[in-house]
Amino acid sequence: MTIPYRYYDIRRVSGEVTQIDVDNGKVDQAGTSFFDKAVIRVLGDKGWGVFSVSGKEADCEKLSENFIREAYATSKVTTVDITIKDTPSSIHSVPSMRENPADVSLDEKVSILLDLYKSIEGRDIVSRRINFIEKDETVSFSDSHGHFYEYHLCRNGFSIMAVASRSGIVQMGYERDHTISGLNIRHRYDLAHEAANRAEHLLDARPCKGGIMHAVLDPELAGVFAHEAVGHASEGDLVKEGSSILKGKIGETIGSPLLTIVDDPSLTEFGFCPVDDEGSETKRTDIIKNGILMSYLHSKETLASMGNGDAGHCRGMPGIEPIVRMSNTFIENGDSTYDEIIETCKSGILLKGSRGGQVDPGRGMFQFNAEYGYIIQNGELTDMVRDVSLSGEILQTLHSISLVGNDLALHPGYCGKGGQTVPVTDGSPHLLLNNAVVGGCEID
Amino acid sequence: MIDEILRAAEKITDETEILLARSESIGADLKQNDIAIGNRTQGFGLIIRVINNGKIGVSCTDNPDSWKKCLDAALVSSRFADPIPWKGLPGPENLSQEPLAYDNRITPDPDLIMELISQLKSGSDKYPANITSGSASLAWSEHTLANSNGLLYSVKGTSAHISLEMIAGQSTGFEHDASWNLDLIDPEKTGEKAAFFASKGQGGEEIKTGSYDVIFSPTAFSQLLDAAIIPALSGRNVHTGRSFFAGKSGQMVAHEAISVIDDPFDTRGLANCAWDGEGMPVKKIPFIENGILKSYAYDLRTAYRYDQTPTASAVRLGQSGAPSIGNHNLVLSGPEISVFDEKGIFVHDLIGAHTANPMSGDFSVELSSPFFAHDGELCEPIRTGMISGNIFEILFRIEGCSKDTRTLGSSIIPYVRISDLTVIGRGS
Repeated sequence: MTIPYRYYDIRRVSGEVTQIDVDNGKVDQAGTSFFDKAVIRVLGDKGWGVFSVSGKEADCEKLSENFIREAYATSKVTTVDITIKDTPSSIHSVPSMRENPADVSLDEKVSILLDLYKSIEGRDIVSRRINFIEKDETVSFSDSHGHFYEYHLCRNGFSIMAVASRSGIVQMGYERDHTISGLNIRHRYDLAHEAANRAEHLLDARPCKGGIMHAVLDPELAGVFAHEAVGHASEGDLVKEGSSILKGKIGETIGSPLLTIVDDPSLTEFGFCPVDDEGSETKRTDIIKNGILMSYLHSKETLASMGNGDAGHCRGMPGIEPIVRMSNTFIENGDSTYDEIIETCKSGILLKGSRGGQVDPGRGMFQFNAEYGYIIQNGELTDMVRDVSLSGEILQTLHSISLVGNDLALHPGYCGKGGQTVPVTDGSPHLLLNNAVVGGCEID
Repeated sequence: MIDEILRAAEKITDETEILLARSESIGADLKQNDIAIGNRTQGFGLIIRVINNGKIGVSCTDNPDSWKKCLDAALVSSRFADPIPWKGLPGPENLSQEPLAYDNRITPDPDLIMELISQLKSGSDKYPANITSGSASLAWSEHTLANSNGLLYSVKGTSAHISLEMIAGQSTGFEHDASWNLDLIDPEKTGEKAAFFASKGQGGEEIKTGSYDVIFSPTAFSQLLDAAIIPALSGRNVHTGRSFFAGKSGQMVAHEAISVIDDPFDTRGLANCAWDGEGMPVKKIPFIENGILKSYAYDLRTAYRYDQTPTASAVRLGQSGAPSIGNHNLVLSGPEISVFDEKGIFVHDLIGAHTANPMSGDFSVELSSPFFAHDGELCEPIRTGMISGNIFEILFRIEGCSKDTRTLGSSIIPYVRISDLTVIGRGS
């Protein structure tokens, strides 16, 4: 009997993960593990049926009817008619790497890291650690329209942690870099020094005084702001479910006219998607242009039901069904220089580095944390402060951006949503926010 | 397959350990009022660990046919590791292999999933709010742990999980529940609580910046524990200079009525098992007893490296499959009081708890579903607020805990009332 599916696709991801953990001068672990996972999605009479299996059983080029039947059967519990939109389908080529990590032996990688480790030095440094990860994966995709794609992508990167301690105070400096452009661990002494210096300087930094003040965000933190405050709320699935304050606001001015926010999965940065995980072509989407909400980020399903935006933003972890995600999200350059921004701020705080953030897009509240900062007085940087968080309401905060810098920089990282973690980059130039809510234990 | 791997490894390693896991799950996702996705997964995992001259190597695969490649990778891995004074994997002990977290009513039955979803929805009808998303899932697993010292343990487990997110105006409510036992989850109540927080959270006023008594829900408090307290108890962090608790053994680290104890057999646990991730028999570990720091957590590797007694605290998480230090059922207890009687700010959830500083314990996070509580109830909703403090200091400022607890992953936590915390408000 033929299976009455309306659409199906299968995505198989197989590969290797190599991890090296150098902890206080010792190689704690160095080795390789293997994975091979497949996920089959079928659009049944009503909604989706999803079946996840070991990849070795699922041949993408010629998907066995049994798997389609299994996935179709799981769709039987669904109670809502889901339609999807046909989208342009094509694949961008993966840029070649400067030095393929696979061509460098584990032996050599370990010795590069042990050498790098020695540069994490300082009088008050009590603990040092470097973690390296290299994920080499082959992605194959096919669907019921006859599309078939296969690509190979290697992501590698490392983090350096330095812990400093003096008179009972313990502080941490943390630096990381991840990339798709090849092995990135050679000659990175700068980051090792930076982590150690930061940890030591933080010992003398004072806790931040909380309250409402002007805040300058550095490119890394402003990138997290773009991601948390705007990116998530523009995801088509959240908009469709009614859990985004950006619902119904297309064409409206929702922020400063200086503000343009973009998500571009076709950019060959850490969040690069040659094709998205349901076979849609990837391209730049302007979420906000000159303060006006232009587009949502979509999958084939959310595009069909919500419109206003582009598909090509659907991503999943190996073996898990894809959902709407960001990839490379950034605020476009404005025309203010860094010096102008600090001077205009006059009195406030400069926030630098990121320990991550979180958002409740339905309520429109976000929070993110800076690793450190400097008090700005009379337009100049003064004392260093530690553990500074910023929170706010999305819509209010977008209007309070008063200057946008001209020094856009991108930072790689990972983003979690619905239990799935995917590689992304966030970026921005320096920003000036008026009247931001800054957290700190001391208050007036 | 286990025998085959052990035989192949025998001649080339001092010791070998194999963990084999099989799992299956079914579930459904609710989008607004309807089920939009049905799903089913089949999983397999093989983790091989080898020890040669005190050098530990590990590799994992999800393809059973590729065990030879996995064994080779584990051997290569062992060549790079720095040696430690290894004292051996555990041998077999007479442990009960009776499953402690297995409910035979949990089967791959779509009707059961539909029933859970329908109870979630019926509970959510108690207060006016809209469902944005939700889910129900059921899972089975079987874990077999074997090693070259003749240890062979196997156990089955089940789990059921439900969650619901709702919204009313711009007020959101989220609640979830999980257990190995169908009788111990309450979908009606889960739905009702999500609806309560969404519906009753509307119309909150801004509050003034100041110092307030704060009542943390078990969910909110467990996030603070996860961010800094649990990492600080890890023997590895203690001995590598990354723990606030290093050098504080025997000292007061919390109010004298506070205890933090890992009790692997507490019946409220989600996945109780008589052995840990390395096959060591588990037992009760008092980390903090009456405010005094008593013990750190160790797996075998860390205990051997630093010449400490292993505490059977190994868990299997993470990409490499290697054992790491964790806990089984971390039970926080303190003086029992009626936490909602005196006026205070109740917080159901935290936005950004993971951004706390794990070394110093400093945090400042946004409140989620905050209310003023008094006279035993949640009363006036609060619009927004950011709470700042230090997690380690908070342990000294716990005024009391509720009798009720919730099990959240591997922690069992009450409602906790803390005095004098800084809250940054937007009100004037």
